[in-house]
Amino acid sequence: MKARRLTELALLTAISLIIFIVELQIPNPFPIPGIKLGLANIITVYAVYRYRPYEVAMIVIVRLILGAVFSGNITALLYSAAGSALCLIGMLLLKRIIDEKYLWTASVIGAVLHNTGQTAAALIVMRTPQLLLYYPFLIVSGCLAGAFTGLCAQIIVKRFKKPS
Amino acid sequence: MKHRIIIAIIAAIFIIGVIGSVLVLTAPPSTVIRIVSHGEVVRTIDLNAAEDTCFDIVSGEHHNTVEIIDHHIRVADADCPDRTCVNMGWLSSAAMPIVCLPHEMVIEYAADSGDVDAVTR
Repeated sequence: MKARRLTELALLTAISLIIFIVELQIPNPFPIPGIKLGLANIITVYAVYRYRPYEVAMIVIVRLILGAVFSGNITALLYSAAGSALCLIGMLLLKRIIDEKYLWTASVIGAVLHNTGQTAAALIVMRTPQLLLYYPFLIVSGCLAGAFTGLCAQIIVKRFKKPS
Repeated sequence: MKHRIIIAIIAAIFIIGVIGSVLVLTAPPSTVIRIVSHGEVVRTIDLNAAEDTCFDIVSGEHHNTVEIIDHHIRVADADCPDRTCVNMGWLSSAAMPIVCLPHEMVIEYAADSGDVDAVTR
């Protein structure tokens, strides 16, 4: 891997980590676990459309681990990792179908997949079927948050040329 | 064209989510109650499915006569000295179980059904 490429990936990881930590400081108006804006995913969506799949995976994995360390919430790592894995696989596949002009739709589906992965992980860990009652709320919030982050990423993708 | 399909799929997911949320929010509260006598659950009843009935919960030589009418439950009669359980009337709130202290009997809503926040709180 070229040094330039490595630097770009490190920069993106750092930016998404900073966004992640800043977002932690914003109080969450919803009492349901799992609902959040997920601003750091702007970088993920951008990377999905501008970098190779394994490079995106590297960014996301480092972001997840460092984010869990910095936020001090290690147990949440399991849920967010499950969600991110599903989301990433889904978006990398969708990227082949969906043009950049409709990038936000990929982001919405990715967000819903993320919530699905989270819920599945929580169900497996806690073995409490009542958790499924949260799922509809997570879908709605995922659609809205995914559309927002997707639109942000779309603006960024439009402004930045493909890295050579 | 394919993007229209994708947007339609997203709209469908979103609508399903909204409908699901509304369903969860408007779901009736739990109707499952349980009767605990001397620390042991002796009966679990779904009030919604229960027929009108009347039965005794026996505690040694004493009894509480429990009555279910029209999906509501109360203690109709008891031979305990204070008869507080009878005076409490119909069970209406999870926060106010019907208790008969002399006979160590409690009629309460079963907490583990539909109580969304029990785990995640």
